[in-house]
Amino acid sequence: MAQEQVEKKRFKLSLDSWAVWLALSLALLVRLGVVAKIPW
Amino acid sequence: MASTSIAVPQAPSLRPATALLRLIPGVLLLGAIGYLGKFIEQSINTYAKAHHLTIPNIEYVLWAILIGLVVSNTIGVPRVFQPGVATYEFWLKAGIVFLGVRFILGDVLKLGGLSLGLVGIELTIAILVMTLLGRVFKLSPKLTSLLAVGSSICGVSAIIATQGAIEADDEDASLAIAAILALGGLSLVVFPLIGHWLHLSDRAYGLWAGLAVDNTAEATAAGALYSDAAAKIAVLAKTTRNALIGFVVLAYAIYWASKGQASEIKNKAGFLWKKFPKFVLGFLLLSLLATFHTFEKGQITTIANLSRWAFLLTFAGVGLRTNIRELGKQGWRPFVVGAVGEVAIAAVTLVVVATADRFI
Repeated sequence: MAQEQVEKKRFKLSLDSWAVWLALSLALLVRLGVVAKIPW
Repeated sequence: MASTSIAVPQAPSLRPATALLRLIPGVLLLGAIGYLGKFIEQSINTYAKAHHLTIPNIEYVLWAILIGLVVSNTIGVPRVFQPGVATYEFWLKAGIVFLGVRFILGDVLKLGGLSLGLVGIELTIAILVMTLLGRVFKLSPKLTSLLAVGSSICGVSAIIATQGAIEADDEDASLAIAAILALGGLSLVVFPLIGHWLHLSDRAYGLWAGLAVDNTAEATAAGALYSDAAAKIAVLAKTTRNALIGFVVLAYAIYWASKGQASEIKNKAGFLWKKFPKFVLGFLLLSLLATFHTFEKGQITTIANLSRWAFLLTFAGVGLRTNIRELGKQGWRPFVVGAVGEVAIAAVTLVVVATADRFI
């Protein structure tokens, strides 16, 4: 059980670099005007 | 109180398209709960305004966490939602990168430099206190190391990184993670209350939350519960802490290798790079681009709003992954050590931060 939990955490952490790429790609799309105004 | 009982997709056995499809229900649930929190905050404010009432503003952050908590601890999170709910840390990292656009590099260097000095003090105190308490409560030495790293650097990520490096048991890692997450949950209630009670400035509170709350999601939420400005500072202080993860993990790895209880690390520079949280680089890159006016004002607002939406998903996830019942299944000693240590660390960092805020 403990091993399973740690493995799950490890897998989630491996997604970190994908989060960076997603954020940078979206910022680029905003800069290029492809993504227009997003309200809050 | 929390546990890590939410399943994540087992990527190796699934095709990428199938794995992505499995995330959709949970991500929609995060969005629905987060948006409900935002809706409740806005509705209360609108009602108070229309009826000329003075009601303290309860941020969407708290609503999202509370709704998530209620769902998680009553009906539970159905299996179909679990893979998507587990992505809340993914949204947290994306949100932090987006947030970089709201910082001019000069501010990052100034506040980051101040944070770095304070992190050095916090790190020393946290490691000393946790090591001492671990001995007093007779915890296994490696569990003590994991708790010390978790409380001094960045919670769960640091524990996972250290567990691999010092070859600690999965059981120890699981206990340390549960303790750190449980205490992080409590800090969401305690920190804003103390901050308001002491009338801390946004800067002082943000620094304190960033330094003393262990997990990045909880540090961000604790900051956002105080104010938007405090959240910004909390994320920067926490990111500075996160950036040091490699050095602390390396130090522990060298210590345990010297005792013959972990493998020796030959390529230390490679090890540091591998453990370095890459979202810090994304954050700095967007800050750099904002500093050189790469984005127009409206574009900065849009990217900052993307950050808010990403955090909204994160806060819903913080509530949903918190399962109070699971806490009873863990041993009590790691929690006592964690709790006593965290109180000591929070108290000392509060004094340090309040002093620094007055004189700097």
